[in-house]
Amino acid sequence: MSTAKDFPGKNVDRVEQPEENYRATLNIIEDLDEERLKSAGTQTALLNMLEDFDEERAKGADTQTALVNMLEDIEDSRLRAEETRANLAQVNKELEGFSYSVSHDLRAPLRAISGFAQALREDEGDRLDADGLRYLDLIQDNAHRMGQLIDDLLAFSRLGRQQMVEDIVDLDVLARSVFSDLAQQEKGREIEFVESGSPTARGDAAMLRQVLQNLIGNAIKFTRTKDRTRVEFGYDPEQGGGAYYVRDNGVGFDMQYANKLFGVFQRLHSAKEFEGTGVGLALVNRIVARHGGRTWAVGKVDEGATFFFTLPGRRSE
Amino acid sequence: MNEDVEVEIVVVEDDPNDAELILRVLKKHNLANKLVHLEDGAQALDYLLKKPPSKRSNGANLPRVVLLDLKLPKVDGLEILRQMKADERAKKIPVVILTSSREDRDIVNAYALGVNSYVTKPIRFDEFAKVVSDLGMYWVLMNKAPHK
Repeated sequence: MSTAKDFPGKNVDRVEQPEENYRATLNIIEDLDEERLKSAGTQTALLNMLEDFDEERAKGADTQTALVNMLEDIEDSRLRAEETRANLAQVNKELEGFSYSVSHDLRAPLRAISGFAQALREDEGDRLDADGLRYLDLIQDNAHRMGQLIDDLLAFSRLGRQQMVEDIVDLDVLARSVFSDLAQQEKGREIEFVESGSPTARGDAAMLRQVLQNLIGNAIKFTRTKDRTRVEFGYDPEQGGGAYYVRDNGVGFDMQYANKLFGVFQRLHSAKEFEGTGVGLALVNRIVARHGGRTWAVGKVDEGATFFFTLPGRRSE
Repeated sequence: MNEDVEVEIVVVEDDPNDAELILRVLKKHNLANKLVHLEDGAQALDYLLKKPPSKRSNGANLPRVVLLDLKLPKVDGLEILRQMKADERAKKIPVVILTSSREDRDIVNAYALGVNSYVTKPIRFDEFAKVVSDLGMYWVLMNKAPHK
């Protein structure tokens, strides 16, 4: 403030000028300072950006590593899947070789058994008594039965490997044709076939024919002791979300053994009561399972049985 | 075996039981008089692909049919079939595969190689006997061979 006295004659101005100068200078300094601050800010921002960028870069590197890891994992699972597939192909090949030699080598001794039993009957039959001839019958019957077993088991094992050919299948038509084939072999029996109309299904027609052949064949077999036979094929939307069924009025079964019905070689009747190898329903179960469906049965001794199966790929109601 | 004897049926079968049963059935139908039985693949190749003696005209006295099993020691049935059908002389002999195998690939392969018939051996002997006698009757008595 003393500087005002250094400029005499210009009182008013001179008094105010230093103040303004001072302010201007201050302003400039302030501005400069602001600029400095701003530039410091900019610098910081730049630094931050650089840091951010660096972080991003680091993150990017991380991401890259993660991607590489994922790719490696994928490659790993691909290799594992390939290995599994190779193993499976190997097992399938072995199985094929197995069933090939079963079909070839197990049949030959059976034919010899039944053949030489027959030769004995032809050449020495008049020297055998009734029991002797009956034993020859038993030898031949059993050879035949074992041949049937081999055929059924081979069909069963082939099923797992067989390629499915998907199609829209009219099960009503199939059931009718299966029934008329089977009923023709039952001479002298009155068999009523009832059909209540079923939706078409999506599946392998040849396999589904096998399902119906076994179920309708069973229905015809296990009604043999009844005077009147009734076999029904239909579809019940109330059962298990919609299930096809084959129902008969035959000898039925005790529900406490229901869980055994679909097992391989499991039988609820002796061969004397009803012939069979115990493979049919296992085959049915396997085919239906391959179609993504399930099988079950309801029955009562002497009051018939109903076999249900679902085919989730069904198309129309 | 005497080469001058006319042979009608050649049975290539390694299983002695099957062979005996086949011979028994053919004998019963009087079809086994001019029959040769060979027990393995090497014997069969030897017999079927041999050069005809010069005194015979090419193609004369060829068997009327070969009943060929598939699974044989040394050389299998399909290989015998392949070599026969590749041979100018032997390819005129009708070949019937008579086997236990019902495998699709065997059937397909046999026909691809030019087999004349493919028959599976039934398990039941009564059916087996019928198949064998039918084959004998058909190929020896009914079928017209190119070289007779």
